[in-house]
Amino acid sequence: MAATAKPAVQDEVTYMRPVSNCAGCGDTKVSWAVMEGMRRYNREHNLKGKDRYEVVYVADRGCGNLQGWHNYRIVDTIFFMGSGVIIGEGIKESCSDKQVVITASGDGGYNFNLNAIKIAGKNKRWGAINVIYNNFVIRMTGGQIPLETDFDKEGLSLGYEEVIHVNPFHVNDNAELFKTLIDRYFKKEKILVVADGVCVLDMTRDARAEGLKMGHFEKTEECLDVKFAKEKERVAREEPEKLKDMPRFKCRQCGIGLRCHALLNNDPSICQACGACKQFPCVTDCLAFQGLSFADSVSIDQLKKMGKT
Amino acid sequence: MKTEELIDLGRVRISGNQSVVWGGLEAGVRLTTAYPGAPISELQGNFEQLAKNLPRDNPFTISVGEALDKANYQLTAHWGQTTNEPNAVGMALGGTICKGDFKEREFITDEEWDLIWGETVFAKDEKKRIPVGARVMTSFKHLGGSTAADALRTAMNVVPYVGGLGIASGDDRQATSSQTQQDNKVLFAMHYRMPVFELHSPVVANRTVRNCYRLFEELGTPFGLVMNYNLAYREVTVDLAMNIDLAANHRQRAFVRDPQHLVTIGPHIRPREVKWMTRLLPMIRKKIKENYELLGGEVVQYGSKPKTLLVVLGPFREDFRMVRYDEALRKRLESKFGDVVAVAGDVVFPQPQELYTELISKHPIERILVFEEGYARVVYLQLLDMVNTLGLNVKVLDRTIAYEPRIYDRFSYIDHILAS
Repeated sequence: MAATAKPAVQDEVTYMRPVSNCAGCGDTKVSWAVMEGMRRYNREHNLKGKDRYEVVYVADRGCGNLQGWHNYRIVDTIFFMGSGVIIGEGIKESCSDKQVVITASGDGGYNFNLNAIKIAGKNKRWGAINVIYNNFVIRMTGGQIPLETDFDKEGLSLGYEEVIHVNPFHVNDNAELFKTLIDRYFKKEKILVVADGVCVLDMTRDARAEGLKMGHFEKTEECLDVKFAKEKERVAREEPEKLKDMPRFKCRQCGIGLRCHALLNNDPSICQACGACKQFPCVTDCLAFQGLSFADSVSIDQLKKMGKT
Repeated sequence: MKTEELIDLGRVRISGNQSVVWGGLEAGVRLTTAYPGAPISELQGNFEQLAKNLPRDNPFTISVGEALDKANYQLTAHWGQTTNEPNAVGMALGGTICKGDFKEREFITDEEWDLIWGETVFAKDEKKRIPVGARVMTSFKHLGGSTAADALRTAMNVVPYVGGLGIASGDDRQATSSQTQQDNKVLFAMHYRMPVFELHSPVVANRTVRNCYRLFEELGTPFGLVMNYNLAYREVTVDLAMNIDLAANHRQRAFVRDPQHLVTIGPHIRPREVKWMTRLLPMIRKKIKENYELLGGEVVQYGSKPKTLLVVLGPFREDFRMVRYDEALRKRLESKFGDVVAVAGDVVFPQPQELYTELISKHPIERILVFEEGYARVVYLQLLDMVNTLGLNVKVLDRTIAYEPRIYDRFSYIDHILAS
């Protein structure tokens, strides 16, 4: 009897993830841009000490609550599913005039508590900057396809003056954007910022399926941390008794700032090609990216065209 | 700056809902959120009027509102904006967790402060003051306890940052205008593990509410206030003298960062759950015993050698007060039970074990009869557990009425007690 080919099994993909955000995770890149935007706002307005404004970043459940980064201030609060925006509305009632509440939720949380997004959009007492991490699928719980969402139309009807789509990996551009949004927040404007394609695992899979070869970061010899790692190796070999007095690392601003394991470990093999380091303001200017990245585009079709050229 | 404002408005007719509003105002509540529904809509409705979101259209809000305006009282009320109970509770949580100010300790010792606040970012405060922010009240009808369960359960994960939050639930136990007959004492006590009170009379509900804010803010935990249909709507005439805590109302505002407490992820909450069950809850039980009268409770004794301990809550408690003034009822009580000691309190959970053990060691108590309304026997089960755990030679008997018997004609709870 002729053997019949088994039909290909199409199952949903659930990735094995580290218990912190993945290297290249767009959530953490947006988080950095939010905080950096506030720093730049203060610098631009020459605000120092008690005059400075500060962000209260109120997030939702989902990839944002993966453990491991909270000591480095990825977000300030996470409560229950769909709660980011409404907890933020409560905080606005009780926080100081020097605090700017920026809220965030995933596309799952967006649909889960559309009510709260509308409450913030219609609340005349405060401005609102609400970030949506748009994965296109609900990645955290196994890749369910969410409700079809048209953020542009829905955002306007929910009371937001503007819906701005950003590439989450353009960290410098996004920091500049958030800097300008702070003023609009004080004018009680409501802005919805949609970070499209925050899940690099998804996009890397799609890129591989299309035969695209994605790039990786590079650090030059001038990198303070690379230099320090070499020095530490030497001490370990030649003067091991001094090892215990050495700090764990020297700089790591890029790895901690972007919450990236690949940068922290200086390991390009685990780089997910998000490309955020292209725009990261490294103090020694030793960070670069080689090849295609999702900072170029989060659209696989566009990346294909770029790959051919 | 004035820290208190005395307002005497003379004799006024108020409902149970308005009595809770009265207590909240005395505590200096600054933010109220709610999702309306019978029998509790009126509670937030009054706050909405006082906050000038709606026209003031009843004697209570007109006279109290005028006095609050003069006192520069700050009040924000969200009703129409909060589109369901989870959002009402969520907004209340956000308003509560901002601890931008301090107050001196009133109820807790140094060691207790260390236990409650010692792991937070305020741990280094040398004076061991209480970090405080806005006092907040949120309210919903009983169904809200189910729909907002996620928010309410999560609130217990951010103890002690939720001190200063009062949650009022209007139970429609006869399903007069609801699709379920529900007893929210179950949810608050058994599921959320949150201190919860059943208010028993519009005449004194305000005192319990005000003092709950004072005590539980220091203990860093929210508290639940449950009312049945009758209590919420029933009107009484009172002498409305308010002593408003303006210092609490005018506190400084600020969000203080503490991701270990305010980011509810497994590694953060797991140790706190253990701490809540093993260390904080026993301490809260002790504080409730110490402040039993402040929280509206009393122990009444009839006769010198009581063998029966009556535990009366909610409407049972209100009717039981008649025994004090009615000689005929007292005789009926004596012929039914002999000498008795009665624990009449509003607290449902956690029950103050030490109070019972004290009474049992002091008197020849042989049985405890528990009179509570609602299907879950929340107090009965706690006392049964206490007797079994401590190996006490006392019987605990349930004398519950599962559902509010009648709402329009007053049911005689005292007759139920004397017939049981």
